[in-house]
Amino acid sequence: MSTTNDHTANVHVIVPAYNETPMLRSVVEAILAKGYTVVVVDDGSLIDQSACLTDLTVHFLKHEINLGQGAALQTGTAFALLNKANFIVHFDADGQHSAEDISALLTPLFQKKAEIVFGSRFLSKPLAIPKRRVRLLRLARYINFFFTGILLTDAHNGLRALTATSAKKICITENRMAHASEILFLVKKHNLSFTEVPVHISYTDYSKQKGQSAWNSIRIFFDLLLHKLFE
Amino acid sequence: MTGIQLILISGFLLALLFFFIRWRNNIADVLLFTVLSSTAIIFILYPEWTNVIAHKLGVGRGADLVFYLCILIFSFVILKLYARIRKLEQMLTDLVRKESLHKKQADQQST
Repeated sequence: MSTTNDHTANVHVIVPAYNETPMLRSVVEAILAKGYTVVVVDDGSLIDQSACLTDLTVHFLKHEINLGQGAALQTGTAFALLNKANFIVHFDADGQHSAEDISALLTPLFQKKAEIVFGSRFLSKPLAIPKRRVRLLRLARYINFFFTGILLTDAHNGLRALTATSAKKICITENRMAHASEILFLVKKHNLSFTEVPVHISYTDYSKQKGQSAWNSIRIFFDLLLHKLFE
Repeated sequence: MTGIQLILISGFLLALLFFFIRWRNNIADVLLFTVLSSTAIIFILYPEWTNVIAHKLGVGRGADLVFYLCILIFSFVILKLYARIRKLEQMLTDLVRKESLHKKQADQQST
């Protein structure tokens, strides 16, 4: 249990996927190449996503209906915990994250310096992040701070790593995109130690098209408001 | 009786009838609905009574008072409905999650 190799074998990377067939296979292959266990959660896709993964050794779970990314992550986490994972990584299926970054995310967990690690695109060297995205994320950052009291450099980054113990405490109930903020509520509530690690985000046309629109952020805001209201 | 009184009263009576037909042993709901409908019908028949109450509360017209109260009641109803939708969504999520985990476990056992 003490060597890094043992740890690697028990890392479950959860990839929620909704109609992601064009990118999914290459994303999964890149993670598998690093030696991690991959859990793909098909969130009620209209197309059969398992077809492009049949020859790969991945765990494939499927929601009967589309619930949202938060719900898919929670299902993946539930499975990973049943499967006795020691570490859990959340990873987007649209190809914007890089599998290279996973080991950097896990290092603080291995060293027991943190119980949850968030990826941040703003800690790494300034890359070509679209201007509008920067503004939106800056706003989201302060809204998150307002709701949670935690000020991260990158509010809505889908790449994060957790230990099994913290994953048990972080039970996502926000099915849609508000889960990113809900995780912060729970980090605060359970007093988990956290840190941020620079990660690389590539903005391809595909990921931009699949990503969050400005309108969506208004929906996230209302989801958060309702979450606080009905807590 | 004026036309609008006729329309409103028959509307309320129809709603009441509908409610009684679908009555499923929740006596409190039926009582509440009966009381509310009868108050509504009384105020429809004697609209000037709302004026008296409105004046006492510092509102100019009875119709305005009814309007304000409606806004209040509807915001409350919307909030309650939102809470219920969220609860239903949570139940649905748990169900779908459980199902997908079961299916996965069954797959693992068969291979």
